[in-house]
Amino acid sequence: MGKFRLGRSENVYAWLFLAPALTLLAIFMVYPILWSLWMSFQTGKGVNTQFGGLANIYRLTQDPVFLRALTNTLIFLIIQVPIMIVLAILAAVALNDPKLRGRAFFRTAIFLPCVTSLVAYSVLFKSMFATDGVVNDTLMWLHIISSPIPWLAQPFWAKCLIIIAITWRWTGYNMIFFLAALQNIDRSIYEAARIDGVPAWARFVYLTVPMLKPVILFTTVISTIGTLQLFDEVNNITASGGVGGAPADSTLTLSLYIYNLTFRFMPSLGYAATVSYVIVVLVALLTALQFFVARERK
Amino acid sequence: MSGVTLRGVRKSYGGLEVIKGVDLDIAPREFVVFVGPSGCGKSTLLRMIAGLEEISGGELQIGGTRMNEVDPSARGIAMVFQTYALYPHMTVRENMGFALRFAGLSKAEIDKQVMEAARVLELEPLLDRKPKALSGGQRQRVAIGRAIVRHPQVFLFDEPLSNLDAELRVHMRIEIARLHKKLNATIIYVTHDQVEAMTLADKIVVLRAGVVEQVGSPLTLYDDPDNLFVAGFIGSPKMNFLPAVVDAGGALRLPDHGDQILPALPASAKLSSGTQVTLGLRPEHFRPDGAAGLRLTVDLVEHLGGESFAYARHGEGGEVITVSTGDSRALESGQSFDARFDPSKALLFNAQGLRLR
Ligand SMILES: Nc1ncnc2c1ncn2[C@@H]1O[C@H](COP(=O)(O)OP(=O)(O)OP(=O)(O)O)[C@@H](O)[C@H]1O
Ligand SMILES: [Mg+2]
Repeated sequence: MGKFRLGRSENVYAWLFLAPALTLLAIFMVYPILWSLWMSFQTGKGVNTQFGGLANIYRLTQDPVFLRALTNTLIFLIIQVPIMIVLAILAAVALNDPKLRGRAFFRTAIFLPCVTSLVAYSVLFKSMFATDGVVNDTLMWLHIISSPIPWLAQPFWAKCLIIIAITWRWTGYNMIFFLAALQNIDRSIYEAARIDGVPAWARFVYLTVPMLKPVILFTTVISTIGTLQLFDEVNNITASGGVGGAPADSTLTLSLYIYNLTFRFMPSLGYAATVSYVIVVLVALLTALQFFVARERK
Repeated sequence: MSGVTLRGVRKSYGGLEVIKGVDLDIAPREFVVFVGPSGCGKSTLLRMIAGLEEISGGELQIGGTRMNEVDPSARGIAMVFQTYALYPHMTVRENMGFALRFAGLSKAEIDKQVMEAARVLELEPLLDRKPKALSGGQRQRVAIGRAIVRHPQVFLFDEPLSNLDAELRVHMRIEIARLHKKLNATIIYVTHDQVEAMTLADKIVVLRAGVVEQVGSPLTLYDDPDNLFVAGFIGSPKMNFLPAVVDAGGALRLPDHGDQILPALPASAKLSSGTQVTLGLRPEHFRPDGAAGLRLTVDLVEHLGGESFAYARHGEGGEVITVSTGDSRALESGQSFDARFDPSKALLFNAQGLRLR
């Protein structure tokens, strides 16, 4: 530690300046986090609760709806995140080519979805993917399918629809990180490889991808966290009669289940808090795993 | 080893022509240096030879074969970049061996090539380090190693030493000269450092604004430049240029130096009286025993230890003239002195800047 010490009065001023921010953080972050941890040990409904120890955790293992929400969430995670990261890298590499015309236009076009209004886009997706919507019409007109795909009515297709929707919405966002990283790579690295006869695919696999590794890790972690908290789309696009997660809970996610437990059913706040902590544990485990996989190997 | 031939080579970006018809013959095993001021097209010309820039017109031959449309990897060249362009995530060994994996070489063969290059460049102790753990000079050696393992016919260097400090630059310069002898390869080397050009080159190509001004050995360019530009560009400190008017019998009158008359030079004897010319005098043409002299007042003296340079002018408003005073350290600023020189050493240029011989 350095020998330099702040004087006592400087210390006080520092705390005074920090106090407003710390107070807000404490009230709106620390307190709810600790309180929900405490609540996750409470059982009972509505205001009528008592301490139940590990009862909620036992309940998790016996709850088929929770298990289904967990499975759905993990399916979304495992399928959607890799697809989106790969698409984002490919889009970034394509848009980084100085010979491409209209780069600025495409960059904006791909980035725009993540700043559009959630409700507007949900309504649009719902109508586009309706049985007689523009997507089915186009696919039939192109003779790719012979009868309409039941996007909103069948569990499998509903999951596909959610994956399409969140991929559409977040690919551009991730692409921006890759573009920024690519623009920092010295162009002569690729020129050297070209002169040395390294084929284009190998330049991508052995040069671009490894050099993007830190960004791949970063985007994977934030996308994982985002997908584990997936709520908006399943509560809007695949909602039927005002209830999200349709059809037959096939797009029910952990976040949506927490919402249902708290606001839709007879409030079971303690149990909802326990499910929230499942997400926390999953985020922690998966992030640790991703850092482990991406570590510098000797 | 192959030679390189350029015939009327041109390059335009849109409507802007940056290489305006270059003809050049580079013999096998020759060390050729491109020099010229910033933006004159040295890098562009080199990158056209490498195949990184398309050739807008003319013909490029390497080893007697037309190469205009050939892929960079099939031209038998290797290039070393100013920024080194090492693969940051690979070790020195992987950096040097990477491209060979795609040339159909076996693992053992690649290993052999890499070890051989590492031995030549004294990189053996560093083979398992990543570029970020190397000094600038070591990185540059790795970049050269990566070029060597491919056994190219022609090496291309684009200002390879300009990111190094002065001491390392001298060291690497000597190393590159040594390497050229050992590898016996054709080398094309771009620099704007004329000491590098003078010391390394068999042949210097002086470029200006996309045009070759003169091609020749370093001493030819120094002693016998074709025009004012080359005369001023080669040599440090720069050659002094004095306006002069031809008098009767070819004698030269210096209007800026009190109309002092110099005896006729072989080249000026043929000129008619009244012709405006420029006299070129290198700082080292000033010698205490010279037959002519200029009356100058010292502005500033630079002592480099072994030699000293006086920056002096005639009167108040005259042009600054650089005078090498040899190892004499006697001059001081403000002092007036008679700068003696040997008028027969002076070069003569006409009003268009072309040399008069
Ligand atoms: N992609 C491009 N588009 C338009 N002009 C270009 C392009 N690349 C280079 N130029 C122009 O071509 C000219 C030659 O550039 P080049 O890089 O070859 O110069 P150089 O001699 O290597 O200079 P330096 O010593 O600064 O490296 C410059 O005037 C530059 O502005
Ligand atoms: Mg250059």
